[in-house]
Amino acid sequence: MTTLIVSHPKCLEHVTPPGHPERPDRLRIIERMLEHERFADLARELAPEAELSDIARAHPGNYIERIRQAIPLSGLVSIDADTTLSPGSWEASLRSAGGAILAVDEVMSGKVSNAFVYTRPPGHHAEAATAMGFCIFNNAAIAARHAQAVYGAERVAIMDFDVHHGNGTQDIFWSDESVMYTSTHEMPLYPGTGAIGETGDHDQIVNAPLSAGDGGAEFRDAMEIAILPRLRAFNPDLVIISAGFDAHQRDPLANINLTEADFGWATRKLMDIADQTAGGRVVSVLEGGYDLEGLGRSVAAHVMALMRG
Amino acid sequence: MADKNADVAALSFEKAIGELEQIVQKLERGDVALEESIGIYERGEALKKRCEMLLRDAEARVQKITLAADGTPKGVEPLDPS
Repeated sequence: MTTLIVSHPKCLEHVTPPGHPERPDRLRIIERMLEHERFADLARELAPEAELSDIARAHPGNYIERIRQAIPLSGLVSIDADTTLSPGSWEASLRSAGGAILAVDEVMSGKVSNAFVYTRPPGHHAEAATAMGFCIFNNAAIAARHAQAVYGAERVAIMDFDVHHGNGTQDIFWSDESVMYTSTHEMPLYPGTGAIGETGDHDQIVNAPLSAGDGGAEFRDAMEIAILPRLRAFNPDLVIISAGFDAHQRDPLANINLTEADFGWATRKLMDIADQTAGGRVVSVLEGGYDLEGLGRSVAAHVMALMRG
Repeated sequence: MADKNADVAALSFEKAIGELEQIVQKLERGDVALEESIGIYERGEALKKRCEMLLRDAEARVQKITLAADGTPKGVEPLDPS
């Protein structure tokens, strides 16, 4: 069956200051890679704008309103040490969340077998009521709650292999036993959370920190020993991947030395779990990844794996 | 799309691992055009599969080596026909 990819050109209009790593070129390089003939069989859809009621499943209404009112008419405003809003940020944020929601719709209704959403801003640092770390709305969390509310998914598992810990996703699901959040990430590193002892109110949060200098062998061990058995035992109805590619060896923001082959491997392992428990349903959403070449090549390996190629 | 990597199935272990190492070095140096890296990566995956298959075969053969009473290898049983 088909793999779907979802994006929207308006996501380029979330502008960040000059020199900022989370920049529109990230989506351009992915677009260029996915134009290759190898990807001719992908289904492609434009990310719609999420409804505010969809976003409200993960964020309080007054937080959403605060963001909307902070959007500048021109120029940039800072809402956090490294998170800014530009005039195009509101629509980009709605489409970023909306792309993840559309991917859930298409995967849960069986129209496609899995999906990859490459939009920006990314989401996994956004806590219920705090924008931070380049993130405004938590797209993966909104997607998980959408699958539960609209399609009756009882258990949703999120695996986050971005090199930074997804403090936002962990915050949103800390007390929610219906969602498992698992993460590999470099530690110590921004945002500082993600210790092994952070396990959530229902022991359904699984953190497997890596150390600076670790590579594919340590990453695969962390997956095989700490994460995959827990995901399998959780028996999810849907697997969501918070797909950050900044653990790539070329990435300038961290010191983990993965290659694109490691991302392909991790993707296949997560698909195996989805095959066993979730009818193969996987929705992957882009998080970080700041070396354009490393990002492009890693996304290609990730999507090739999703296509079972 | 014709399979550009059909020849991999006939490569010896030494040939396959040698080419795989070259591919890894190339990708690590980053001196490959981005679009070209997709084809190279796919060939790498095919080479890796070939090496893994040859290793599994070799391992199966090693397991068939029978030991004499004094612990010295006394011969190789034929592999099960498959």
